[in-house]
Amino acid sequence: MAQFNLPQNSKIEVGKYYKDETNSKNLKKVNVYRWDPSSGKNPRVDTFEVDMDTCGPKVLDILFKIKNEIDPSLTFRRSCAHGVCGSCAMNIDGVNTLACIKSHTDINGDLNVYPLPHLKVVKDLIGDLSTLYKQYESIKPWLQTEQTGKEKEELRQSQKDREKLDGYYECILCACCSTSCPSYWWNGDKYLGPAVLLQAYRWINDSRDGDKKERLKKVADELKLYRCHTIMNCTNSCPKGLNPAKAIGSIKKMLATS
Amino acid sequence: MDKNNTPLSPHLQIYKWQISSLLSITHRIVGVINTLAITIICFWSLSLLFGVEGYQIINNFLKSFFGKFIAVGLCWTFSFHILNELRHLFWDLGYGFDLKVSKITGVSVLVGSFLLTILFYLIGKNFI
Repeated sequence: MAQFNLPQNSKIEVGKYYKDETNSKNLKKVNVYRWDPSSGKNPRVDTFEVDMDTCGPKVLDILFKIKNEIDPSLTFRRSCAHGVCGSCAMNIDGVNTLACIKSHTDINGDLNVYPLPHLKVVKDLIGDLSTLYKQYESIKPWLQTEQTGKEKEELRQSQKDREKLDGYYECILCACCSTSCPSYWWNGDKYLGPAVLLQAYRWINDSRDGDKKERLKKVADELKLYRCHTIMNCTNSCPKGLNPAKAIGSIKKMLATS
Repeated sequence: MDKNNTPLSPHLQIYKWQISSLLSITHRIVGVINTLAITIICFWSLSLLFGVEGYQIINNFLKSFFGKFIAVGLCWTFSFHILNELRHLFWDLGYGFDLKVSKITGVSVLVGSFLLTILFYLIGKNFI
């Protein structure tokens, strides 16, 4: 049975308030989820007053500004800062997205930043994604062929077959979709979730792959696949504009018609 | 680091409702209500077999304001469930996954369910 409330040790407390010291007139209040594993305390939400006149346009810029100028202990993942790597996925203003491509000017009022939902927190805004990576590994995200390696010719793919992977190969595995899915919240240990299922479809749909039937058979499971009830939070949150719900629908359709 | 003490990040508490998720959970709740309603309606028709009195009790209840409210409410739950189920059927056929399309169909389901309810009411009142 799904647990809708947060466990006792995860209840969020009111944290510190960092008042602006720059005398700026253009302030934004930023509420950030904090948890320090060494403190032994419950997670809290700290509020920072940030001067918007000297801040870059994206949410990631705000986080950097806080880390550089207000509290250096703020912890978050980031790498490319251009929406390519998927490291800075977090829950911003109630929806999962990448901090590096989300403009804070789109958000009226206070800005709320939380880690990706329903994950074990490592520290502050970093969630533990190891279950998701294990599930990703379970779908064998690599080409399966009967080739021995001694063939003289490479595996060719027509332009048309290649186009079938459009909208799927672009996935950067940031986990925004999977952690936005209520089904994945309640059954994350068994249900594969939108990100992994989209990847599964990407390999099922690859004309060069020789293991299509086996892949379909493996994913055809009451819990692994059919826990998707087309809630569509995944598609709503995907920062790359992909459609995991459609990918899952396509797998279901393939299974129904094969 | 104590693994057991690791907190769970907030989920339902912070996630913003989308039209799609709202309709999805409504579909589920309404489905449960409909199942109960059908059972009760079956018992109601069964009560016909046991004479006027048993039937009259439920009939009087349905004629009261509260009863009428429930009857109209059930018209809505059935309308909503049927229309949203149509949406699910199209999804199963592989259509309507586009974000814009699913939003339009979602809103149409909601508006349509109220229109159907009004239609049922007017038919029930012999206006049509």
